Amino acid sequence: MRLDRIFQQKSGNKTRNKTGNKTGGFGYAALMLLCAMCAALFGCGGGEEAEISMGRYADREVKLPGAGYEYMHPCADGGYYLFGNDVDLTHVAADGKVSREKWGWEKNANIHVKFSYGVSDDGAVIFGYTPMFYSDEEYEAYATEGDNRYLYYYVSEDGDRQPLDLRGTDYKKATNLERFAFAPDGRVYAASNSCVYRINVESGETESLFATGEQVREFAFVGDTMLAVDKEKAYLYDMAGEKPLSDNTVLNEFVTSHQNGRIALAVGEQTAEETQEGGSEVLYLACRTGLYRYVWGGSVIEQIADGQMTALGDSQYNPYALQILPDGEFRVYFSGNYMAELYYDETLPMKPSKELAVYSLRENGRVRYAGRLFQKEHPDVLVRYETGMDGDNAVNREDALKNLNTRILAGEVPDVIILDDMDMERYADKGVLRELDALLAPYEEEGVLYQSIVEGMRMTEEEKIYGVPMTVELPLYYGEKKYVGDMQGLDELAAGAEFARAEHPEGPLIDTPYQSNLFDLMIPLCLPAWTKEDGSPDTESLTAFYRTAKRLWELDSAGMSGEQRRKWQQDVADEEADLSNIMFTQYEDIYNIGETWIALGYMKNAWYGMTNLHTRMENYRNGYSIYKELEDEVAYGRLTGQAGNVYRARTIVGLCEQAKEPELGEMFMELLLSDTMMQKWWLEGHFDGGLPIRKDSLVSLLDFNNRAFAEVKGWTKQEIEVVYKEMFWPTEEERQWLFDRMEESDHCYRKGTFLEETVREVGVRVLDGELTPEEGAREVERKTAIAMEE
Amino acid sequence: MFLLPGLSGVMIFYLLPFLEVVRRSFLKSGNNAFVGTDNYRAVFANGAFVLAARNTLLYMAAGVPLLMGISLFLSLLLRNLVLRRRLVSAMLLPMAVPAAVMVLTMQILIDRQGVINGILTYVSEKITALPDFTAIDYLNTGWALVVVVCSFLWKNTGYMVILWLAGLAALPKEVEEAAQVDGANRWQSWHYIIRPGLSGSFFTIGMLSVLQIFKSYREVWMVAGSYPQERIYFLQHLLQNWYLKLEFDRMAALTVILSLVLLVVCLLLQKRLE
Repeated sequence: MRLDRIFQQKSGNKTRNKTGNKTGGFGYAALMLLCAMCAALFGCGGGEEAEISMGRYADREVKLPGAGYEYMHPCADGGYYLFGNDVDLTHVAADGKVSREKWGWEKNANIHVKFSYGVSDDGAVIFGYTPMFYSDEEYEAYATEGDNRYLYYYVSEDGDRQPLDLRGTDYKKATNLERFAFAPDGRVYAASNSCVYRINVESGETESLFATGEQVREFAFVGDTMLAVDKEKAYLYDMAGEKPLSDNTVLNEFVTSHQNGRIALAVGEQTAEETQEGGSEVLYLACRTGLYRYVWGGSVIEQIADGQMTALGDSQYNPYALQILPDGEFRVYFSGNYMAELYYDETLPMKPSKELAVYSLRENGRVRYAGRLFQKEHPDVLVRYETGMDGDNAVNREDALKNLNTRILAGEVPDVIILDDMDMERYADKGVLRELDALLAPYEEEGVLYQSIVEGMRMTEEEKIYGVPMTVELPLYYGEKKYVGDMQGLDELAAGAEFARAEHPEGPLIDTPYQSNLFDLMIPLCLPAWTKEDGSPDTESLTAFYRTAKRLWELDSAGMSGEQRRKWQQDVADEEADLSNIMFTQYEDIYNIGETWIALGYMKNAWYGMTNLHTRMENYRNGYSIYKELEDEVAYGRLTGQAGNVYRARTIVGLCEQAKEPELGEMFMELLLSDTMMQKWWLEGHFDGGLPIRKDSLVSLLDFNNRAFAEVKGWTKQEIEVVYKEMFWPTEEERQWLFDRMEESDHCYRKGTFLEETVREVGVRVLDGELTPEEGAREVERKTAIAMEE
Repeated sequence: MFLLPGLSGVMIFYLLPFLEVVRRSFLKSGNNAFVGTDNYRAVFANGAFVLAARNTLLYMAAGVPLLMGISLFLSLLLRNLVLRRRLVSAMLLPMAVPAAVMVLTMQILIDRQGVINGILTYVSEKITALPDFTAIDYLNTGWALVVVVCSFLWKNTGYMVILWLAGLAALPKEVEEAAQVDGANRWQSWHYIIRPGLSGSFFTIGMLSVLQIFKSYREVWMVAGSYPQERIYFLQHLLQNWYLKLEFDRMAALTVILSLVLLVVCLLLQKRLE
């Protein structure tokens, strides 16, 4: 169906209100008001619609000709270019024919990493990069210009290439150029985080055109007008008259209301049927909430595809480029090297007849992804995934829970609820959650899941299961054998830390710049052991916990001054910690162990875990390759605390007792617990989601027999030099070790309890020396007493 | 008929929701089973309720008379001052201060390493005759209620002064002047003329002060969290925490109890002043 017909059909569904005669008096108006209020209160209408409107946009995935692309340029002829770091410039013609332009010269061109890109319709390329080494001149320029660390190349459509020396012009005072765009007339534009420039690719001269508040992320060219969009505003520039144009409030409002994601732009023509005159330009805007259409110069932006019902709404992807295709179709290139085409399907109902409501406190990419899969399998169902604390608002956890509780009180119960960071037991106790024992019975009979993990989820007086995690994380330690070799629990950990401190009087021992980092590591290991049968906190266990925590903190602090710790904290807070200092600091050529001698953390995935370092742990920054020959010197194992074999549950799936669509909820849970979902998520590159609790999924993910050896890249400390380290696949013995750890995991740590919050809050005062461990434990008891009384 | 829109608003936004709360107070949350007065009994048997009610009463008993007394005293002082308007404007400043700023100021003042401890430590070091001073964690000790009352007074005194001044301005000057001519002293003027004349203001300001006590919860929560030191654990904390814990039934019962108590207090106060 052609685009104009689609829009005609859509607009045909709209109705216009007619103004009636002014009749009746004040009493009549009041009566109407009362009726309206009653209608609002008790609901009105509600009758079944006589006819279901059909037709809506759906999407299909487009297989890309390779991996590693980071940029797509749509061409006017329907083809497109793909480009990125470490990949060839690839052209896909409108008929699907793929051609690659191999740039052998790159390897000798001192290009380390390519960053920003721009490609023209005829294949000319401009890109920014960081070099392997700076020449003396470049280094000097870098030193004097501060932030300006990219260099640039221009490659013409004929393959002629030249470094672009952009310094010495307006650009001198600017920071890096992050975006490039070729206008239809051949001129090149670029944007830094505060300015838009015009670039002469022959001479390297830059001319600043106008200032911007933020980094411009998208360019579009509508006739003689250039549209540049940053996070907050749409800027218009008259390319013929060479002057900025006044603001377009319609576009500005749209941009400000879609700040949290990218907006991809494409320019098309309005058809003759749509306007009497014909020929007006139309701007299409793709963002997470949907695909929109704006007749240039108009006062309305109209939604033509709903983000929730297409790939646009998938929060793990951001639309990077948009292309208009014939027959009302669109091609969207997303971050994460994903491409989809939107097409109008007349056979689909305009609005799905059923709705599956899924709720989680925080955004969960895996659930979002499952929602997309579910919706594809069931086109008649709209999966409405809602998060309590999404990026668009500043709602804190407490407010989000209050909002959820209000809705539960009003009977607006989701069908599926993701219980991470929620007081699951409370919701189970209050009858909000549905008991899952019967649903999980077939899994138990077939031995599909790690049953000890499922059993670890039992709660309430009835010992029932109300939530089941998709994945778990296991606590691990790692370090030289002499420090961690005899590790059995927290006491041995402290003894090992003392030994390490004696040998290394300076520097941190464990990767805990803040007290909270230490508690992040230790609390999950002990929390399940702190509650007595009557629900009150066990002060003896708490005192012992605080003693060990204080001992470790003091040992860690003994190696650095307060000023050094503050600097470390600041570096972490700013995320500007110098990688060259973090990597290879102490073990130099041996392996990366961050800045620490004993690594503690949680095993979040099997791939990095079993191939590189045996574990890539949460607090173990850049934990890259371990040499196989070092196995005799280092040790790793399960870290245990007061509570035994603890696991951290992630993506805990629960179903609501009062769900409107209980069957759909069950189906969605089955999907989340399926091998497809657990593997697919990983295979698509999301490696830090935890270890799947399905046995077959974990086995498959660790089956490396058919996969090639690989190597990883690192940097040495002394100078900028890339080194490659070999990776080793896990042996059968190592795999079995992990399976055994999964089998023995039987104590669930669930975040979000009041006891944990109190232990953390008081713990900071214990570590700061305000309270002794005994006083700390009593303080926790006192504080929790009120909560228990409630 | 002209009352209908306004009445509808009150019905829809106040009365009907309140009736719904009354209804829920007799049901069990979750399955909505009728439980009679179980929720009310559960509230009265709840240790946290007893603590919170006692603390709220204490807070009210300390805060309301102090606020009314201090503001009345200040308004009598300001009554005949030329700079009255400017001073009153300055006294209103705390009301304009955002809650977050007020909380931050409180923390700067009363933190263990805060200004007050700093001054006291300095003084005890300089004056050797004084005993050694150990920094106090005001919000985690018995001082917590004092801190809360002080911040309540600081924030609300200016507003109450304005209300008292309005009440004083409404008194006929002639009567007071006639009394003075007849030889009445200040105490007699106050006792026989001003005080009776302010009885209407007493009621209004008294009720507003009680309501301000309930409204000051936000600052307390911001500075000390959902589970503060037990002396400053108030009924609003309990309601808030029950809400988070899905204890809707008990929360509804407590709301009804509180409403009844406030209604009785209001009626008694009105009757007494009449």
